[in-house]
Amino acid sequence: MNNKFDALKDDDSGDHDQDQGSPKDCEKEKTDDEDKEQNTSKKKMVVPGAGEHPLQYNYTFWYSRRTPGRPANTQSYEQNIKQIGSFASVEQFWRFYSHMIRPGDLTGHSDFHLFKEGIKPMWEDDANKMGGKWIIRLRKGLASRCWENLILAMLGEQFMVGEEICGAVVSVRFQEDIISIWNKTASDQATTARIRDTLRRVLNLPPNTIMEYKTHTDSIKAWEDFHGLVNASGGR
Amino acid sequence: MIGSLLYYVLYPVSRYLTGRRSEASAVVIGTAVCDGAAVTSRRFSPSQTALLDLWLRPSSRGSKGERIKDPNSEKLDDTRPDMDKALLMAALHKHTQNDTASKMREVQPAVMQEETGKSHTPQQEEVEAHRQGDVETMHHQLLYCKEKTERESISPAEDWSLENILKVQFICLQTKDSIQELSHPPQEQPQTQNLESLSPKDRMQETSSAAENQINKTNKEIPQTAAEPECWDEYVLPNTDLPQGEASNSQLAFVPLLSNTETTRQHNAQSSLHFPVGRGLVEEVQCPLWHFPAMSYYPPEEATVPFEVIWRVWEKLDESAAAEDSTLIPFPLKKVSVEFTVMSYNILAQDLLEANQELYIHCPLEVLDWSYRCSLLLEEIEKWLPDILCLQEVQENHYHEQLHPALSQIGYTCVYKRRTGTKTDGCATCYRSTCFSEVAATQLEFFRPETELLDRHNVGIVLLLRPLVSHGSEVKEEAPPLCVANTHLLFNPRRGDVKLAQLAIMLAEIDSVIKRCKAKGEHCNVILCGDFNSIPHMPLYQLITTSELYYQGLPAWMISGQEDLSHKAYCHRLFSPLWPSCLEITNNCQYTTVNETFKCQNPGKSRYSHDFMLQLRFCPAACVRPQDLKLIPGVTDITPEASKGSQHFEQRFGHRLSHRLNLESVYKHVLPGSGRPEVTTLHSEVGQTVDYIFYTPRCAPDKKAVSRLASEGLKLVGSLSLLSEDVLWSMHGLPNHIFPSDHLSLMAKFQLDVDTV
Repeated sequence: MNNKFDALKDDDSGDHDQDQGSPKDCEKEKTDDEDKEQNTSKKKMVVPGAGEHPLQYNYTFWYSRRTPGRPANTQSYEQNIKQIGSFASVEQFWRFYSHMIRPGDLTGHSDFHLFKEGIKPMWEDDANKMGGKWIIRLRKGLASRCWENLILAMLGEQFMVGEEICGAVVSVRFQEDIISIWNKTASDQATTARIRDTLRRVLNLPPNTIMEYKTHTDSIKAWEDFHGLVNASGGR
Repeated sequence: MIGSLLYYVLYPVSRYLTGRRSEASAVVIGTAVCDGAAVTSRRFSPSQTALLDLWLRPSSRGSKGERIKDPNSEKLDDTRPDMDKALLMAALHKHTQNDTASKMREVQPAVMQEETGKSHTPQQEEVEAHRQGDVETMHHQLLYCKEKTERESISPAEDWSLENILKVQFICLQTKDSIQELSHPPQEQPQTQNLESLSPKDRMQETSSAAENQINKTNKEIPQTAAEPECWDEYVLPNTDLPQGEASNSQLAFVPLLSNTETTRQHNAQSSLHFPVGRGLVEEVQCPLWHFPAMSYYPPEEATVPFEVIWRVWEKLDESAAAEDSTLIPFPLKKVSVEFTVMSYNILAQDLLEANQELYIHCPLEVLDWSYRCSLLLEEIEKWLPDILCLQEVQENHYHEQLHPALSQIGYTCVYKRRTGTKTDGCATCYRSTCFSEVAATQLEFFRPETELLDRHNVGIVLLLRPLVSHGSEVKEEAPPLCVANTHLLFNPRRGDVKLAQLAIMLAEIDSVIKRCKAKGEHCNVILCGDFNSIPHMPLYQLITTSELYYQGLPAWMISGQEDLSHKAYCHRLFSPLWPSCLEITNNCQYTTVNETFKCQNPGKSRYSHDFMLQLRFCPAACVRPQDLKLIPGVTDITPEASKGSQHFEQRFGHRLSHRLNLESVYKHVLPGSGRPEVTTLHSEVGQTVDYIFYTPRCAPDKKAVSRLASEGLKLVGSLSLLSEDVLWSMHGLPNHIFPSDHLSLMAKFQLDVDTV
């Protein structure tokens, strides 16, 4: 019954990946597995080492990769997303980051997720369900630098929007890469504006870069519509 | 023949009188003799010159009107004891006896003749009458007498009066001596030694040519000194409080000019002076006339009161630029600006002076005495009265016992920071309480035991001051704050790496002060001054003035450039990172964490800048693979070393220091005009620029006109001129009787625009 994670935002923009095979059927089931998961994460709560520079929040790295050819089903979740590790200090962050490949060097249909510890990279998480995300589509070659700038700003509390930030995602796709940052309250325009302005500053983006804000509600709806079509035609 | 005769008569007499002159307190006050001979005379001893004059004058002209016999001379003559005359005679005879045989034969009859002539009563009367007149005429008269006596038959038994003739001669000598007294300063006497060593006859023949040579020599010196007009060109009457030693010092240095003055008189019809110079005197240099309002041929009644030389002059920047600025403002708006002065001064701690005595062997002991130096120092400060005073090498006990009380008394508020460790000196930043109020003060210690690099005991002070602008009566307007940073970086010429780290701490503190101001919506201007122990245009200086420095691989000595140590077989080089992340200062010379006050505003916040995060990227802890990191091929299977990205990063950013302050040096390190290097410090080993005043310059006019009425940045209005090394050595180096430290003070005046509502 791990299929709750299918509800993980399948894709950054959540609408264009027709072949995204994540089963959506059980998304509303909040099972005891989830509680179990939260319990275990509490148990494992990391702390900064002696003399290290503590972060304002603990964060967790996630990695996901669509398995080609395999039919999307509830069992495929474990192959799709993996928790890489959690950290509590700047030093610990670099330990993970330094041993992870740069997003630009990832192959295939892959995502890195960096979320506050305890917040799952999924629309349905309590922290996310009222939220949304800023989406920036990047031409190939920019993802590594932008991703690094983005997460350094997030970890260093440069967004100055209090508790609003939930996490960030970089999605490597065929012709483009997408980075996004998620916040809790999609309706808080002051916050979203501030996040946008900070993004522009820290990412050092080309001037013609388009930034788009999308609420998770819209993402879910679009996904459901799309997969509804898939289901209707495919007779799943 | 007659000439030589007279010479040998007069020479011993004059010698004798010269010897006596010190005893004879009632030296005749003579009157001016304004003719060309005065030029030659100043290079000779009085006696020599007297003789010279005697010989030159008969051949020149006998104009009585030019010379006035001093009325006192007769009185002096009368009151002189008879013993003098007897001695005079004895000396005369002794001399003639000792002379060569042939000369003796010439001299003695001549004396006899002379004496005989004088014994003739009418002649004597005539001589007596001429005593009222000109000395020169007197000699003519004597010659006339001699001629007469040859023709006339005179009773040998007649009682001739040696006394009378001696009287005449004596008067004439007295007059000459007194003239000499007036026409040149006494301290020039030593210069005549070489001439005195010549034999009398030689000297006689050489006097005129020697005189010319002297003029030429003197003139050759003048073009050199004239190349420094900014140093010499002003003299003011002694309305200031400089000690007397200073005056004698300056007079000494002005010997060439004094001679020049007299040359001027000689050529008084000309508007300027032309000096033959160079080999064979083929070249000619033209110099404008010098004017010495404070000088006179007459000894002033207050002969002991010195005149002051302005060694260092206030240089104003071209005001036309300011006029241009104002025209750029399209419509007349109310613009208020304040001006203030800043002085930076390494005052040489007495303990350091005594610990490094070999650097001051050129100095007379009295100028090394602290109480003397302290009085000079306070005089200098009081003279310029800077609104902000940044001192370095302030010895703790001297600060508490002398400097602080004295500075408080003249209106300064002071912040003092002693160096850590065993050194007894430190920095002091003082400001005039009527001009500024203190917003914040930080005392920086560059000694960081946790950082191996920062093991040196240097300190700095960063003040945030707010200018007090009183507009009209009581209305005080808000002027933008001013950050004043004062430091004395490590001296060690080999440790440029330490200096850079110390500077980075300083810059980070300034940066945090500016950020605090910015948070309140204010632009903060910066003054960074002190002794940086680094010479202009070398890497440390470049970092300050150009805001960035690529340091990878640079030899550590090169950072400051105080000494060229490139010949050393081994030299320590700089490699990234310069300092560990635990210093919490980025390569951008900013604090990695927000400062304490900011933390208080956001309790519990751990904010880190991008740069700070990057600093920790390759810290040891970050290079260990996390135990719980699963190996996912193609995702988590790389090591930090293998990361191409990190190498790229290192190449791009890792070897570079930068800061975000815009700083410019007040001084340009060469003297305007001559183009010779300025020096701010000089001792027996070296003279160079190591002290600076850096400031935030005003933005470009166009930008200013668009943005705000009150422009950001400071406008440099003027500065106190520095000196070149040779000029300082002409004052016998540093410290001396004028400048009490082995550093010169730096001073600048700035203009700051104030917002008006």
